[in-house]
Amino acid sequence: MIELKSLACGFNEKVILQNINLNIENHLSILGANGSGKSTLAKAICSLIEFDGEVFIDSVNTKELSLIDKAKTLSYIPAKLEIYDSFITVDEFVLLGRFPYKKSYFDYSEKDKKIASNTLEFLKISHLKNNIVSSLSSGEQQLVLIAQALAQQSKIIIFDEPTANLDPHNSKIIAEHIKGLKEYHQIILITHDLHLASYVNNPVVFIKDKTTTLYENNFFNDDNLEELYNVKFNSLVAQYD
Amino acid sequence: MWSLLLVILILSPFIGAVTLDISEIFKPDSLAYKIFFDLRIPRVLFAFFAGVILALSGLLFQTLFRNALMTPYTLGISSGAVLGAGIAIKLGLGAIAFGIGAISIFGFFGAMLTVFLLIYLSQFLKSSQHESLLLLGIALSLFYTSALMIIFYLGDAMQNDMLIRFTMGSLSVIGWQNPILLGIISFILFLSVYIYRFELQLLSISESQATLKGIDTKKVTLLLLMVSSLGIGTLVSISGPIGFVGLIVPHIVAKIHPTTVNKRIIKTALFGGFFLVFCDTITRGLSTQSELPIGIITALIGGPFFIYLIITKAKR
Repeated sequence: MIELKSLACGFNEKVILQNINLNIENHLSILGANGSGKSTLAKAICSLIEFDGEVFIDSVNTKELSLIDKAKTLSYIPAKLEIYDSFITVDEFVLLGRFPYKKSYFDYSEKDKKIASNTLEFLKISHLKNNIVSSLSSGEQQLVLIAQALAQQSKIIIFDEPTANLDPHNSKIIAEHIKGLKEYHQIILITHDLHLASYVNNPVVFIKDKTTTLYENNFFNDDNLEELYNVKFNSLVAQYD
Repeated sequence: MWSLLLVILILSPFIGAVTLDISEIFKPDSLAYKIFFDLRIPRVLFAFFAGVILALSGLLFQTLFRNALMTPYTLGISSGAVLGAGIAIKLGLGAIAFGIGAISIFGFFGAMLTVFLLIYLSQFLKSSQHESLLLLGIALSLFYTSALMIIFYLGDAMQNDMLIRFTMGSLSVIGWQNPILLGIISFILFLSVYIYRFELQLLSISESQATLKGIDTKKVTLLLLMVSSLGIGTLVSISGPIGFVGLIVPHIVAKIHPTTVNKRIIKTALFGGFFLVFCDTITRGLSTQSELPIGIITALIGGPFFIYLIITKAKR
């Protein structure tokens, strides 16, 4: 359960989000035009940016949570992996998801390593484990990021435009994984990809004019989409089934 | 390769302007004994620890700012020390306290003031604008150099000679005080880097990745910067600036051992130490009347090798 109370953020005096009050009980998709503040909202939930107002996770104010506890509670998967290190391999990268749990000063435990390799198996990318992360394709990098988030074993996983850089085939693979993960995690999905959003089928929050509107259902009908995006739609249907 | 470097370390004290008779070295009242134990051995150790500090600081700066060009040298911290030393020379100050010269103290404060200035100025930059920080460092360097030129302009011949010697960098030390001091500081630096090696591994991915895994990135960055600046400030205040080691050694080690930063810390420290001892041995071996400045050798050897590495890396 995530509660946002009079949340507001902006950059350089430009207001992006204003007075957002939202109770996110379970899965949620966040949609909206470019620059409407979708990612800003996600980053505020993760405390990656500064904001006014409050974010509560299970009734605890995130400003009072330690960084380690925050990491154990939620993980955030960016649209594109920014990476300076050009040597780290996939299994090393996924193991970093275990950092918040690392007890020994000397190394990650065998249990941590087992969890990391299990997530690779779960996502069917064990064959990539010795590859260098920075040289993988965007689709593979997205899978590796998901693997790291799963190793982190956080209750909440936030996907920030997971298919933004992917071709239709890879988008489908990612979409299936996200849908599958709904069984184990609270999924917050930020996306432009209407196919993905309708396939994952979460309740939708649409951000427009700095505020949010919640759609429990009835979001994906042509009239509604036309009104929100100002584009004619003709029976958008999920393509992945 | 590592064994070759070790051989150089062991042979190094025997090389220099005065050729030592090995049978004489262990006679406590001989000149050879004095040269060997009061000049050569302290100097080799001093060079080794200096190399450790330079290499680790380079690795640290490159990792913390995720930029291959970041070093205490390129950020103007060394130039700050030189300017501080220059002011002390111009003012004609001698030893102040505990036998530590005013030149060293002013040099140290020059370096530390530059670090604080950079930290203060970086608050006005977005956290991602590390290029701007590099530009700030370069601007500071140029400013310091010009200020130093004014001191040259105003200085008399003897002061200017001292200043030129200082800016060229030298590893010559007499006695054990400086090597021991530098040994302690390089050990503290090494320990700090090693303790935070897993944090550094995450920081070398990206700042947000590190934050999201529970690391207080600001605190860790500041702490490690302070320790490394302490090392650089102390070193430069004694030896003058020694360029290139901090920039190239971490890259050379990464080229030889392409692994994540946490697995390169020990090798970078050792290689930095060996590399500087090697360069210093050459300066002593080549020397006749006056010694070649160490900075010239590090750049002469390091420069071409570094260019070779960049080109072969680009091909891959």
